[in-house]
Amino acid sequence: MNYKRISLGDNIGFSTIIDEKFNTCSVSVKLITELSPETAAAKYLAADILSISNSNIPTLAEMNERLSALYGASVGSSCSSRGDLQPVSFSASWLHDRFAINGESITAEMLEIIRDCLFSPNVIDGAFEEEAFRIAKNDLLDTIDGQINDKRSYAISQLHKKAFEGEPAGYPETGSREDAENVTAETAYKVYRELMKTAQVEIFYVAPEENDDVAEMFRNAFAGIKRCSRQYKFRAPSPLKPETAVAEETLDVRQSKFALALKSSSDDIFALKLLSVILGGTPSSKFFVNVREKQSLCYYCACRYSETKNYLLIDCGVERDKIQAAYDEICRQTDEVKQGNITDEEIGAALLSLENAYLAVQDTPSGCISWYFDVFCSGEIITPEEYFRKMAGVTRERLIDAAKSLTIDTIYKMLSKEETE
Amino acid sequence: MSENVRELLVSRKTGESCIHVKHRSGLDIFIREMPGFSTVQALFGTKYGSVNTMFKTAGDAEYTSVPNGIAHFLEHKLFENEECGVFELYARTGAAGNAFTSFDKTCYLFSCTKNYTENLRILLDFVQKPYFTKENVDKEQGIIGQEIRMTNDRPEWRVFFNLLRNMYHEHPVRIDIAGTEESIAQINAELLYKCYDTFYNLNNMVLSIAGNVREDEILKICDELLRPCEDKGLECVFPDEPEEIAAPEIYEKQPVGASLFQLGCKCPPAETGDIKKLMAATVAISIIGDASSEMYGRMLNKGLINSTFGGEIFSGNGYFSAIFSGESAQPEAVRQEIFGEIKRISREGIDEKLFGRIRKSLYGSLIRELNNVGAVANLMINSAMSGFKPFDAIDTVSELTAEDVLRFIRDELREDRFVLSVIERMES
Repeated sequence: MNYKRISLGDNIGFSTIIDEKFNTCSVSVKLITELSPETAAAKYLAADILSISNSNIPTLAEMNERLSALYGASVGSSCSSRGDLQPVSFSASWLHDRFAINGESITAEMLEIIRDCLFSPNVIDGAFEEEAFRIAKNDLLDTIDGQINDKRSYAISQLHKKAFEGEPAGYPETGSREDAENVTAETAYKVYRELMKTAQVEIFYVAPEENDDVAEMFRNAFAGIKRCSRQYKFRAPSPLKPETAVAEETLDVRQSKFALALKSSSDDIFALKLLSVILGGTPSSKFFVNVREKQSLCYYCACRYSETKNYLLIDCGVERDKIQAAYDEICRQTDEVKQGNITDEEIGAALLSLENAYLAVQDTPSGCISWYFDVFCSGEIITPEEYFRKMAGVTRERLIDAAKSLTIDTIYKMLSKEETE
Repeated sequence: MSENVRELLVSRKTGESCIHVKHRSGLDIFIREMPGFSTVQALFGTKYGSVNTMFKTAGDAEYTSVPNGIAHFLEHKLFENEECGVFELYARTGAAGNAFTSFDKTCYLFSCTKNYTENLRILLDFVQKPYFTKENVDKEQGIIGQEIRMTNDRPEWRVFFNLLRNMYHEHPVRIDIAGTEESIAQINAELLYKCYDTFYNLNNMVLSIAGNVREDEILKICDELLRPCEDKGLECVFPDEPEEIAAPEIYEKQPVGASLFQLGCKCPPAETGDIKKLMAATVAISIIGDASSEMYGRMLNKGLINSTFGGEIFSGNGYFSAIFSGESAQPEAVRQEIFGEIKRISREGIDEKLFGRIRKSLYGSLIRELNNVGAVANLMINSAMSGFKPFDAIDTVSELTAEDVLRFIRDELREDRFVLSVIERMES
């Protein structure tokens, strides 16, 4: 795998990842911008519209027709938050030209589609075309309504809301239902124009061979925009609340859930990340072995670290009357690390698991893009091997210090009805 | 059988290939060497899933019936051997180990970037070494009970099982894969051994391994660790299933924000190895519900569906259905639209251009799959368990005609065989 990053000027980075084992080409454009209640829903809508139409392919039906004729090529967008920021992601993937049955150039057509989607959307009189906008808006409203359908991710989103109250990260990336309802085709288009002008841009191209046309297309297209952007800082540790906040609600569910946010006062991100894996990142972790396997308290009990907000998220699915027992055991296991009760085997297993996960990212185009965007956000663009070497340098003492830096900031509980009524 | 029998399986269309070895132990082994990739994925599976609740071997006088959810329970318990848990063994090598049980198979897998030969040894060893005791069976009831509760809170799971329950009268596909808290309470160590001895016979199993591997290294380990099994003449029976559906509609209320639906058509089951029917059906649902179709655009404009709308084929031993699903506040109107589109296509035939496009798109997605280690390992084991060869799908799609697809739509998508399952929003 050959990684290279160049600047296209105006705060636009262009990375190529070339590996001849791939049979597809992928492009991902990240428009980095802040997460704000005023614009979150509009950005979400704009991103969606960009992936379903453009000025030359004005309807979703025509877009799908074109893409299926290009051997099922895909174009999509996403708008997930990352700490206090909201990178708007536009991506496309297609089969390499050598697989085209009639020798046609899939890549040339796809570059046109990508260019038109991003730089020449379907706009009429200063607003996104009404039909495409209406479809995207209905979709967003359904997405917002449907957030409660997945109880685990809903529980985590409710925890975030409480843990990061008053910070951008506490706001949903979709915006609220009310925000979404208030966005018009005109305001969404304005937000799109602002986004193209002001966002910090990172573009990724993953393919089996170099193709200068890709960078050239982006360079030319961005040249038509008067850019005025700034660089964003991804890491924004969340301040600890003076007292632990608790949020709970009762729902008509069969399994209760609870989630904890433990905020850290340490900047040792490698130690905190490794600690999260030792606690609840693998089936040999302290939580899995003790909370699930030894005490049968829950089906899942996991832990992960967020570098941007500098906190550990712990979540589990549990019977209502076992919440306290599970909570006590989670605290006991975390205290064990604080007291230095952590074996070489536990550290070794966590490192091996991370090494495995890091090396595996190079096997898929999406893995490569995620990796190089993640390390870009972390401020140091390094390979998975280099990153792992840093992780392997974490000592027992640093792990203990990382554990000691944690304080429970917020608890969220989703209580099942059936055991009380 | 005293010798391993090796064959190279090659796609007629693309020239892609993999190796099949009928191992002397009775096991079918599929290997695809993928140089340049870092990862290795291996799956060791048995043709034993939640639907196999009644069976006998040539030596048994009577059929044995077992509690619902036992295949899944067995999968959990096999992860624990006499000395330690299997996760502990993988923790020493860094592999990500896992397992899953579906309607018709149970698979144990690992993926890793290092030490694949050692991981393969772990995999082959623990799957051949059951250890069930009263204590470890009792302990698992709680964990699986939690899993059942968790999956019952997933609306997309409920909408699917409600659909199956209304589609099938008798076939055990209508039962939740994990069973119920009541059915798993009947499971004991003796029953687990009975199921293990019956289904975990190498003649009933498949090993699939793809990625940065070497055939000779894999076969050396297989020769060493696989214990030859006598083919016991396993026979599974399924209750007689009428062609008709059990009931046309089912509604359930759940705390969801957006109502979900599945609209499924009960079709006659395919013969083992009938990949043509599977591919024709796959293209058929794309033609009916494709996002470039008129019907899709109409439903979207009327607000009947959103971007979650899609279709899939669900098939296995004794069951076959075409399912459309999505979010909708008016699922009955969606059903009417789909019925109308089926009638229209049956009457007017399939637009050749649309057919060509859909076929090309499916072909592209099958080719793309071959670029992913996990997808290749899964493709090889799924094909083998369904009686296909790994590249049959690509070759069949390339040769499929619009007439094959039209025949499926006209003959099998009958209105009286459709079931509508809806999870409605519960007003708080």
